[in-house]
This record gives sequence, structure tokens and C-alpha cells, in this order.
Amino acid sequence: MMRKTGVILPSQSEPLMRPMIVIGIPGDKRTSGIQQARSDLGMPPAIILSYAEFLQGRSLGDLMEEQKKQLSSQSSVYNGIDLSAAPPLLRLESPGSSFEVERALIALGAPDSDDIDDSLHPYAERPDPRPLRVKVARQLNDMQGVLHHPSQWFRGYCRMLARLQREAKAACPGSLWLNDPADIVAMTDKRQTQKILSEAGLPIPRPVGEDQQPTDYASLREMMLSRRMHRVFIKLAFGSAASGVIAYQIHPVTGAEIALTTVGVENYITRPPIYYNSGKLRRYTDTATISGIFNWIYRHGAYAEQWIPKAGLKGKAFDIRQLVVLREACHAIARVSPTPITNLHLRNQRMSLSEAGLSEPIQEQVRNTAVQALAAFPHSGVAGIDVLVSGGSQQCFVADVNPFGDLLYDVKYRGCSTYEWEMKVLSARDYITHPSTPLIKEGSS
Amino acid sequence: MTEVKLSIGYDEFEEGQRIGTEIEKLSNSPESSSLTSLIIGDWGQAYENSSEEVVEALVTHSASFPALRKLFIGEMDSEECEISWITQSDLSPLLPAFPELQSLTIQGGNELSLAELKHDKLEELIIISGGLSKTVLENIAASQLPNLRKLELYLGVDDYGFDGGLADLLPLIEVGKFPKLTYLGLKNSQIQDEIAGALANAPILDQLDTLDLSLGILSDEGAELLLASDRIKGLKALNLSHHYMSDEMINRWKQSGLPVDVSDKQESDDEEDWRYPSITE
Repeated sequence: MMRKTGVILPSQSEPLMRPMIVIGIPGDKRTSGIQQARSDLGMPPAIILSYAEFLQGRSLGDLMEEQKKQLSSQSSVYNGIDLSAAPPLLRLESPGSSFEVERALIALGAPDSDDIDDSLHPYAERPDPRPLRVKVARQLNDMQGVLHHPSQWFRGYCRMLARLQREAKAACPGSLWLNDPADIVAMTDKRQTQKILSEAGLPIPRPVGEDQQPTDYASLREMMLSRRMHRVFIKLAFGSAASGVIAYQIHPVTGAEIALTTVGVENYITRPPIYYNSGKLRRYTDTATISGIFNWIYRHGAYAEQWIPKAGLKGKAFDIRQLVVLREACHAIARVSPTPITNLHLRNQRMSLSEAGLSEPIQEQVRNTAVQALAAFPHSGVAGIDVLVSGGSQQCFVADVNPFGDLLYDVKYRGCSTYEWEMKVLSARDYITHPSTPLIKEGSS
Repeated sequence: MTEVKLSIGYDEFEEGQRIGTEIEKLSNSPESSSLTSLIIGDWGQAYENSSEEVVEALVTHSASFPALRKLFIGEMDSEECEISWITQSDLSPLLPAFPELQSLTIQGGNELSLAELKHDKLEELIIISGGLSKTVLENIAASQLPNLRKLELYLGVDDYGFDGGLADLLPLIEVGKFPKLTYLGLKNSQIQDEIAGALANAPILDQLDTLDLSLGILSDEGAELLLASDRIKGLKALNLSHHYMSDEMINRWKQSGLPVDVSDKQESDDEEDWRYPSITE
């Protein structure tokens, strides 16, 4: 086949135009956003497979056959796509907004689950505290915001990803992952994320304890005081979107402490407390509550790091969500907050980087840092990187790598929404996961 | 006007940088002689180290800053240090060291004192704190600031060190205490209603342009007393923003035709606590 260097062929004559299979929650904002973008760009729709059905025991192959049948009846939108001729691009979406899926994942993470492939779990041998058996997990009630057994959820999540990886090999040979399941695990577990970033030489907030991490409230305090690191962020290892994030400081002289977090507690006399995500930022100063939350979070798995004073604007602090798609930084927003916790759903403000007062050289530094952060996960093509700019030195630090960090509203890059941009870039470049392969295939002639 | 801000971050402090040295460096720089405004930010882990080093260095090098008119000690946001944890010290030695100073702003109330508060030219004194101690209120009551035009105090709450009461504020609003005062801010207070009540008919209102009772927990109770006062009618500005007044009271203010700011209504704390799922972004 002859191609001219650098010329991107029109998609209808592109033989390797891969169909996209999305595993997600059909009809949610993410899957709908992708379909809308594809439709607006005149691309055939993606095949959407449902996490819920997959977790009910349907095989990936089965679900695909079913979808293909449905699609083949709509030949006008899907003509000419042969999955065996052009192996698909597999894209995982966030499983998060469905309680049904959350409950199924907790059940899959149970000790008596029938699938115990923990090969993707980075801390598989560490037991989960008070695990729920499959039967009990399946009876969990949806209580809004309640953090149901996070570590067992994560174990189930790793098992599901391992199964997807396994079945994809069999059901769609030659297929490619947009973000490899192993990378998604590593991005979801903050202990792993920070380890990978640090090994790649990226600037990250210093962890509390390099070799030895604290294990509970007491050891955390002890390490903070002995290392003179009096202000830290503690994060549930696999929380997302400010879930289980705590900005914590101790006064080295008086021993006073302040924990700012959205974690709320409901206490009971006869059973353990329930921890939930509150929409209000709470300020705890009493040791009993603080140590209760910390010990619970540490039992499930936690990561603590230095609290870098963030750059601010009129008394408010911000961080940056920088989207990276195939090695290119694109959409970015500053998340501006009167509190140390900047996530958008806490009704924080959003601004462009210029509005937030960042100079062009600093913006460039943010983009470079984000691109390098994603490059530390060489089998992944899309992530939303949270970058901090320190208030004093204006230095950039990577705080988080979000495998599903592209759900950003009302922000455009070169006239495109996030999904439009991704679909355009993906259709223009044949995406190969292998790190040494150039992203734009260039002809040899 | 030239302005400089000096600040020592956490890492810089750990690496041995000190605010005293930075002040000394500035005093040796060519710009020191024309500097009109100096802002001291974080002097290095201000929750642990007091501002004493700042005071000493500024006093030692005061002769290098002949043009200095404005001084801000402790401009840092909560990303650097909680306001209620900033450790201050006795800042009054700064006053004789800078006889031409016109404006002094202080942030942080812990260990703050102004033992000898005497200055002929100071026009503006602003103290921002989470809780101002009775000692500081006594210092201000005992001060000699004949040229003071603006006094703005963030009184705060007892959890963070406000250990006074209305009785400690009354000497500050006596006519004759500050003969040139035109701006009075007694704000950010947990006894905002009491303060409003005491000020409603205080003779000092006759000399004021601006009364600032914002940022506190003012409710209809204090607002009613203010609204009933004839004395507030002479004000050019009445700042009641960030308050707990009812909609009805807000409307009455709006219909009063007075130059009042009733923005930023607060809801009492029993508003519904919403929860969010863990993966939402």
C-alpha cells in the first residue's frame, strides 16, 4: 500500500478506520457524548456494550455479536465495517455513576466470587477489611453518596478489567485498547499512579514516607511531625472526584489539627459508622472524628502527600485539568475554589488558564507536564491530568491522572468539544498502543 | 507607587531561607529607597514561627525605606496557612521605626499585640483575624492615633481567639477617641447583632462616612435596630454584606433608599446536605 508522507486520508477510503467499541453505561453522559460527537462528525456510531450486562455474566463475544446484529440491520450507518478486517478500538468508560454496576463490582471483589483473577490488582495480597460475601454484596442498598466498601470495589474492578482483557483477546483478535486495562488500574490506584510518575521522573507532591507509608492515623501523624511535613493531602487510594480526599494539617506546637474533607460520617451505637461523600466541605477539628475517618480510609488503602500551596486568584486556589489525547495536550480548565479541594462538582468555579492568571510559559509548562504524565502510561491514549501550579515557585506538579477525565463541558479546543476532538484525532491517526510506533503512520515511499 | 511582596514558602524555609535575610537583601537593593508599599507574606511556616523576625529585621533596616507608607504583615491565603493559625507577635515596634507610615494591615490574631500603639501619621489600621483577642482591643483602646481615618477589625469567633465582648468594643467608638475617623469596620463577628445595636445610635456615626458590619452573623434583630436609627441616614455607605437577614428585611433595606449593601445572604446551616456519587467527573 502506498501512502504519501503526512497525508491523512479521508476516512471513507481509510481501510484501517477502526470501529469503536465502548464499554460503559448506555445512555449516560459519556456514552451519549461519544455518539453525539461521532454523529456530528459523520462517523458511524460506536458499538456500546453495557458494563451491567457484562457483569451479569454475559461474555464480551456474546454482547458484541448481539450489537453487531442490531447494527447490521442499519446498514446505512454501518456499511462496510467488518470487525475482522479492521479490528476495533476498545474504549472503557467510567463505571461510576451506576449503583447497579458498583454493587456488581463489590460482589465480584468478594472472597467467594467465582472469578478471582487478581492479576491486575497491584496490592492483591493485601486483604480487604471485613469483606462482604457475594450474597451480602448483592443485597447492598443504594444509599446516595455512601462509600460502600471501597477496597472490595477496587478488587472487583481489577477482576472485571482482567476479564475484559482476557475476553477481548479471544473475541476481537487484533483489537486495540485506547487505554489499556492495566493502565486504567494503575491510574485508578493513586499509590501506583504516583509511583509510576515518580519513576518516570515527573514532579509529584512529595509522598509522606518514601519507602514506608503510614498505615493509620497514629503513624501518619508521627511521620508528619518527624518529617516536618505539617500539611498533607490524604486520598483514598482508589477514590475519584474528591471522593475520600482530605486536606489535613497539624499544628506542630499545639498539636491542634484541621481536616477539610467531603467525607461525612453517620455514627451508630450498634454498628460501624457509615462514611459518605457530602456535597459540603466539612471541617473537622476533633481527634475522635478525624482518627475514625483516617483509620477507615487507611484500612481500605490510602495515599498521603505533601500539600503544595496552589497558585491562587483573589484568595482562591486552583488546579488545572489538562486533557491529553494521543500525546497532544488539548482542552484545559482551571478549577478555582475558595477551599483546598478543587473538584468541579463541589460547585467550584471554572476558568480558562488565562483567566486564572497563568502566563503563556506556565501554560506551556502545564501542557508539557501533562503530556509527559500520560507518556508514563505508554499503553494509553487519553487521560485528564490534574496539574498543580505552586503558588510560590510556579512549578508544576502532577496530582492525578484520570483515565476518564474527559467529561468536560463547555470547553473547546480548536472549535471541538472533548469527544469531538478525540474522535477526530482517533480517526485521523491509526492508533497503535505500542510505545515505539509512531502515532501517524507515514508511508515508506 | 512601588510595591514589593516578600514570602518564604514551605520548601524554601526547609532549605534554610529566612525572611530576615530577604528583608536585609531588599534593604540593600536600589529599589528600597523608593519603595512605598511592602507586603510580608508567609515568613516561613507561620503556624509555627511568629512574626518576631519580621519585626526585628524591619526595625533594623527601617532607614533604608524612607518612602514606605504602607505595610502589610501576614498576607497569606489558606493554601499557605490558616488565618487562625498565623502566629503574630508584638508589632508595635514597627510604628516608631516608620514615622511616615500611613497604612498598617495585619493578618492573623494569634499572639498578636500592639503594646505601644502610638503614631502621629497613621491613617489606616486593618486587622484581619479569625479571632481577635481582648488584649488587642485593649491596645487599640489605649492607643494614640490622632490621624486615624480608617479602622477595620475582623473580630472573629471565640474558637479562634475572640475572647472579648461588646464592653471591649465600646471604648473604640467613643467620640474623641479617633477624632478623624470616617471609616469604621467592626466585622466578621459572632456578636454582630450586639455590635449593630450598640452602633445604631452611637454619636460616632455623625463623623463617619462608612460603617462596615459585613462578614458577620447579622440577623433581623440587629438590622431592625439599625434601620430604626436616624443617625445611619448620614452615612455614605453601610456595608452589611454576608448576613443572615430575612428576605423581608432585605426588601426593607432596599426600599429605605439608604446606601446599603445587603448582598451575599447566608443560609443557616440546616440547609439540605446533598451527597454525590464517587465517580462524577
